[in-house]
Amino acid sequence: MTQALDMDQRISQPGRSHVMEAATSRSTTRASQFGTFAITFGIAFAILYTLFERQNWPLFTYHPAINRLDFWKYPGAAEDGPPMFWYGWVVLSAACSAVLGWIATMVSVRWLQRATTFCCVMAALWPAFFALAGVIDERASFNAEFLRSVWVSGIPALVGAAAVSYFVSSRWAQRAWTGWLLFMPIGGLVILGYSLNTYFLR
Amino acid sequence: MDILFGTISVPTFWKILLFVHFALAIVLLAAVTLQAVAILMPVRQAAGNFINRFSPVPAASYATLIVLLYLPQALMGAWIYVKYRTYVRIPMEGFRHWWTVGSFEFKEHVVTMGLALLPAYWYFWQQPLSEEHAVARKWVTIFLAFTVWYSFVVGHVANDFRGVGS
Repeated sequence: MTQALDMDQRISQPGRSHVMEAATSRSTTRASQFGTFAITFGIAFAILYTLFERQNWPLFTYHPAINRLDFWKYPGAAEDGPPMFWYGWVVLSAACSAVLGWIATMVSVRWLQRATTFCCVMAALWPAFFALAGVIDERASFNAEFLRSVWVSGIPALVGAAAVSYFVSSRWAQRAWTGWLLFMPIGGLVILGYSLNTYFLR
Repeated sequence: MDILFGTISVPTFWKILLFVHFALAIVLLAAVTLQAVAILMPVRQAAGNFINRFSPVPAASYATLIVLLYLPQALMGAWIYVKYRTYVRIPMEGFRHWWTVGSFEFKEHVVTMGLALLPAYWYFWQQPLSEEHAVARKWVTIFLAFTVWYSFVVGHVANDFRGVGS
């Protein structure tokens, strides 16, 4: 009886190992998909939050003094008290980043890493060109006020990002992918911190 | 809430909430600091001075605790932020405490960036630890520790202006 049971266990072993392998593979795939989502979410959130804050694009505005919520940006009347946009920026950034993270789990890793490179380089170049345009406008002997437009500085940023993401090797894009996860929040904080300089220079 | 406010006054409720926020911040601060130290000094040594013999709990065991503390802390901070905006920031501006206002404004961005990295942070610390993500894991952890330290210090300064015991 014992031998029969042992025999039975030995026979069923290969089948069980297949089941276990399949289960492990499924859990690894799920973990890997969550990793793709989490990394994309982090990068996208940092970029989008910085953008929404700088452009002041909240999903909603909260007026704490009168406990009222308004859709999008609504400064309200003076007697409504101070408006709060922060909640609206956070919720909008989180929602958009979650959608992007979900999309990221459905595309090929190679394509995702290249797209991430494009977005991150563009996010870095755009404010850099915008700042440069400001310096040129200040120092130029001709009227260069048109350079102050956000959209004008977006053109070289777009070209630069397209060039970088086209020419970098897949290996570099792969290695840089998790690196953006740290560079984007730090870059965002530099921009957001600089925007607060009026408080520190009074 | 009405039942609660029947028992305690509104200012007392907010002070209790602020104190809980502070107490949880201490726990979070300890956890992120120990984890950051553990990844910066991973080698365990039996001999040497106190610092060298310092052998913290394996860094991975803190990750879930940190996520479970960071998230409610951020939510609680977001709730208290309503009172800060109306009852603290306005007088702070009146007294021209611009550095405190600016630092607190920056705090909201710092905490938000920490929140953004939280899912990736949790993923990086899942067992078995991936060698591929070792560098990212280290720096994301240090960044998170920075966000907690910065928020704690600035929050404490704001509390000193108008908060518990001020």
